[in-house]
Amino acid sequence: MLDFELTVNGQRYPVRAEPRKLLSDVLREDCRLTGTHVGCEHGVCGACTVLVDGKPSRACLIYAVQMQGHEVTTIEAVAKDGKLSPLQQALHEVHGLQCGFCTAGIVMTFEAYLKENPRPSEAEVREVLSGNLCRCTGYHNIVKAIIRVADEGSDATA
Amino acid sequence: MRRPKLRHIGAALPRKEDLRFLTGHGRYVEDIEVPGALHACFVRSPHPHAKILSIETETAKIASGVIAIYTGKDLARWTTPLRMAPPIEGLRPVEMTTLPIDKVRFHGDPVACVIATSRYLAEDAAERVEVDYEPLPAVANLEQALLENAVKVDESLPSNLVSIQKYKTGDPEARKREAFKVVESEFHQGRMTHLPIETRGLAAVWDEGRQHLTVHIGNQVPHPYRSQVAARMRLSESQVTIVSPDVGGGFGQKIALYREELTVCAASRQLKRPVRWREDRMENLMAASHAREDSVRTRAAVTKEGRLLGLELEILEDFGAYCFYPANYLARVVAMILTGPYKLRDYAFEVKVALTNKCGNGPMRAPMAITSWVIEGTMDAIARELGLDPLEVRRLNMVETRELPYTMPTGEVIADITPRETLEAAVKAIDYAGFRKRQAAARKEGRHLGLGLCSVVESTTYGSKFYKAAGIPGSGHEAAWLRIEPGGAVNASVGLGATGQGYETAFAQVVADGLGVEPSQVRMQMGNTDVAPYGMGSRGARGGTAGGTAIFLAAREANEKVLAIAAQMLGFDSAEGLHLVDGRVEREILGERVKTDLTLAQVARTAYLDPTALPKGMAPGLDFSKTYDPPPMTYSNAAHACEVELDAETGALKILRYVVAEDCGTVLNPFVVEGQQHGAIAMGLSGALLEHMRYDEHGNNITGSLADYLVATSTDLPGFEVIPMHTPSRGNPVGIKGMAEGGVMGAIGVIACAVNDALSPFGVIADRQPLSPDYLRSLIRSAR
Amino acid sequence: MKPAPFRYHRPESLAHALELLSGLEDAKLIAGGQSLGPMMNMRLVQPAELIDLNSVPGLDLITEKDDFLEIGALARHHAVSNSSSVKTCCPLLAEAAGTIGHYAIRSRGTLGGSLAHADPAAQLPLVAATLGAQIVVNGKRGERRIAAKDFFVSMMSTALEPDEIVVCARFPKAAAGDRHAYLQFSRRTGDFAIVAVACTLQDRKLRIGVGGAEDKPLVLDGLNPAEEPDAIARKAREAVDPAENPRVPALYRKELVEVLVKRAVARCLTSN
Repeated sequence: MLDFELTVNGQRYPVRAEPRKLLSDVLREDCRLTGTHVGCEHGVCGACTVLVDGKPSRACLIYAVQMQGHEVTTIEAVAKDGKLSPLQQALHEVHGLQCGFCTAGIVMTFEAYLKENPRPSEAEVREVLSGNLCRCTGYHNIVKAIIRVADEGSDATA
Repeated sequence: MRRPKLRHIGAALPRKEDLRFLTGHGRYVEDIEVPGALHACFVRSPHPHAKILSIETETAKIASGVIAIYTGKDLARWTTPLRMAPPIEGLRPVEMTTLPIDKVRFHGDPVACVIATSRYLAEDAAERVEVDYEPLPAVANLEQALLENAVKVDESLPSNLVSIQKYKTGDPEARKREAFKVVESEFHQGRMTHLPIETRGLAAVWDEGRQHLTVHIGNQVPHPYRSQVAARMRLSESQVTIVSPDVGGGFGQKIALYREELTVCAASRQLKRPVRWREDRMENLMAASHAREDSVRTRAAVTKEGRLLGLELEILEDFGAYCFYPANYLARVVAMILTGPYKLRDYAFEVKVALTNKCGNGPMRAPMAITSWVIEGTMDAIARELGLDPLEVRRLNMVETRELPYTMPTGEVIADITPRETLEAAVKAIDYAGFRKRQAAARKEGRHLGLGLCSVVESTTYGSKFYKAAGIPGSGHEAAWLRIEPGGAVNASVGLGATGQGYETAFAQVVADGLGVEPSQVRMQMGNTDVAPYGMGSRGARGGTAGGTAIFLAAREANEKVLAIAAQMLGFDSAEGLHLVDGRVEREILGERVKTDLTLAQVARTAYLDPTALPKGMAPGLDFSKTYDPPPMTYSNAAHACEVELDAETGALKILRYVVAEDCGTVLNPFVVEGQQHGAIAMGLSGALLEHMRYDEHGNNITGSLADYLVATSTDLPGFEVIPMHTPSRGNPVGIKGMAEGGVMGAIGVIACAVNDALSPFGVIADRQPLSPDYLRSLIRSAR
Repeated sequence: MKPAPFRYHRPESLAHALELLSGLEDAKLIAGGQSLGPMMNMRLVQPAELIDLNSVPGLDLITEKDDFLEIGALARHHAVSNSSSVKTCCPLLAEAAGTIGHYAIRSRGTLGGSLAHADPAAQLPLVAATLGAQIVVNGKRGERRIAAKDFFVSMMSTALEPDEIVVCARFPKAAAGDRHAYLQFSRRTGDFAIVAVACTLQDRKLRIGVGGAEDKPLVLDGLNPAEEPDAIARKAREAVDPAENPRVPALYRKELVEVLVKRAVARCLTSN
């Protein structure tokens, strides 16, 4: 057992866990942030995607202890004071989620990606989205939501 | 019953469910905190078929954190076996113990359950459980299963054939003799699995004081599931509560009471402590439930013009090692509806289902998925062999609007469907005429385009008469209640199990129109068997028709009582001319609507707290219950069309365009319906192109992770062009036809048809799915 | 699928990392964790000790030197594919790195990790072999520089000694007028390649690297760019000897090699 501290969503969490305990499990059980979901535990489905120092990462492929000294951001931090981010709002408006289980991983991936590339083409959106599996929506409306945010973003700056 | 104007039904309302899912505050079973819960982990067989000689658990029991380890013998004391023996001719009864005792039947079969203080420690201990197996020869495929002296998967059966159903109407033999040609075709669908992104899991909480079991589990059919748990644990249904929270996808995998789940429930009772289990993805792939793996042959007797005279159908399904649901189900659905929108009098089928040493099958979204591929592929084969245009062959054989209602050769009646309209709309949208020109030009450049058409007549709902006729025990009715609280809030419930279909929103819209309030005033309470009425749950595209109608009827009854009370409160003799609109009573005076000051909240207050002011003889309260048994079958229809490009050098396929024209009847919420269509098509395409649960020739599962079992990602799928052409059904009060599985049927069919169109210059036919690049390339290579 | 227990070490210098690696029994290094993580979660690998390289400073730098581009072992694929130095000096590497897995995988996965893992279908070993990169390792015997062709020994097997760590890789810099192409064939975007082809045109010589066809990258050197792409492709097809595989028949793999080489050569000759 190790004692260490994690910084998640700007807050410090003291954790006592074995070094092998995955970040996905520590976030969910020790930090009680259950918005990050576990879908495969081998890095393929993307449901557990969080941000590590702002970069999207599979929480199931990180041992929580590795995150000492780093900043982890999860889905719970995206909406600010109850106000949805433009991406969250767009997903809601175009019906870009059904069971919701893959949604957090997709939101985290694109909150990061849209900062890097604010105006992606549909092909670029689909390419980045291909790292997140969804079994409900067929991706059509998710792509629509992301393009809407990209377009609105460019309108805002125009 | 006076039908209200529909203002909310049919509105594209963004979903109420979304907020919690978008912000990470959903409550899936693994999110529910159960203080003091122990964790289960299963020891599973590495062999496809083996005797269990002994299970040594002492070494594992002393591992850190281990509380108990249970095996099949323990479970046999605490639970009853499952006996699946519906009185259906041709279906053999089967029985399975809760955990295997004498032998294991597939690679991944659970043999022991380790209960420890964490999943990590449980997995450590599971590695230390020593099972002494005596491997047996395995039945690795259907061919082996049906051999003369085949090894038996289930020794209680005379052979591995667990179900055989035959049917004949008219004289297909005579039609073959008279025919200009008999066109033979084959269709082989690979083995798949449902793959919800949330794997199975539950938390079982036994209350020793109350002798009561509460099970938190994401399940599509909470009430039937509860009945099963109670029966198997020798408890009364009053002693079991199922609470289904948010569910991360079901698709048919979260219906049956699985052995692992029953084991966890029994363990909780035994230990008098909560026990939880979360299946990991490897287990889910290997040992949850599989699906499809059907082989179909058709023999179509046709005239020179391509008219269908008679059809013979043979289906063979690899059902795996255990029957989680009746093995004859496929016969009932596929063979029964196969002819779809095509006219036919002379029809025969034979459906055989056999056991093999693989994970057992469960119904997967559109268990009848192969249906449209088979009939549409047969139409294409007819066109190909007679040198006719495939569209003309379909037009020639398709039932006409004036011929509806039409009785299919199996006795099924199709009514209120529009297959001709949807076909023509899809044909127009995909530019069928223009395509042929483009295809010819592309071929000259060495590019291979293909176009596929696939009409779907989707069976939905499955009312009680269907089950009776099929000999399957069970009902098709649905139940709802609606309660207006003293403060005017509206709570409603239905016996369905939500797994992402937007019930909370769509049904609020139904109540809104039925009762006369705004959807925002309505809260749907589902999934908890202590709260929801006893209903049959969510499966077979029944939610909208069966559930929606039950809720609507309850809402209408509520509306009637509310207006009767309102009339009394306003001093009128009758409620004639009174309406409830967005929670306020309005009066119709000379054709004009006039608002009154009376609100639903005020009416409710009277009903609960001032009952002496109610109309004479009226009982207090505003609590309504209704059940509804839909017609035995409802049908919706669609036509799918897609354009593909095949890279002849690599076998790679690209979908250039995908169009679907659909008629689902009254649509509760267009967002939800379109989303369901997208999802169904995606699942169909994913299965047709990528998914393959493979076992080797010895019966070992070689598809162990998501790196092996491929599902479609966003770059594998096109955008979907959906053309809504909804016409209401006259079969139920709201006009709903049901949908959500037809997309799978259409996708599987249309992509195969498109690929074969692209392959036509090579003179080869793809009759197997998945349509992998190496398979397509091997066909092209063989043509040279 | 939880990993088996292990002791965790977080060295803060290369020297300490090396000390741990040679001193501990049954130890494994973790960098990005994108390949090791799944294997450990599935318990296919159960090291008693895990040495985390992520806190060793200075291992992630991308530095342009006179004769080569030096990329640190801890450089993430995302950084490599987006780096202006890499795009300029080694565009083939930037392009190939951008096709590895998915966005989240590229954010964590490292160059050193990919080279040491030596998956026969992986992009970076193929590019390293094709370009004739040098892999710099450090261990008990000090620093060694190993040519890519000697570094990749067999499937998942390299010339690394148990006490050695990949420190960086040195890629020859592209000259003006050099051309390249990278093509891969996989079932889906981001999947491991079934076959991958890297092609360069330098000093009027064509060089082709083929990945995924054998147990390590195969490099065909000194080809004549004036020859018909079809003929070059046939040569490549004859040169590879893929093992039979139930999922991908050898014949199909050979066909893919031929098709991809033909297309890569055509693209290479017309690229900038």
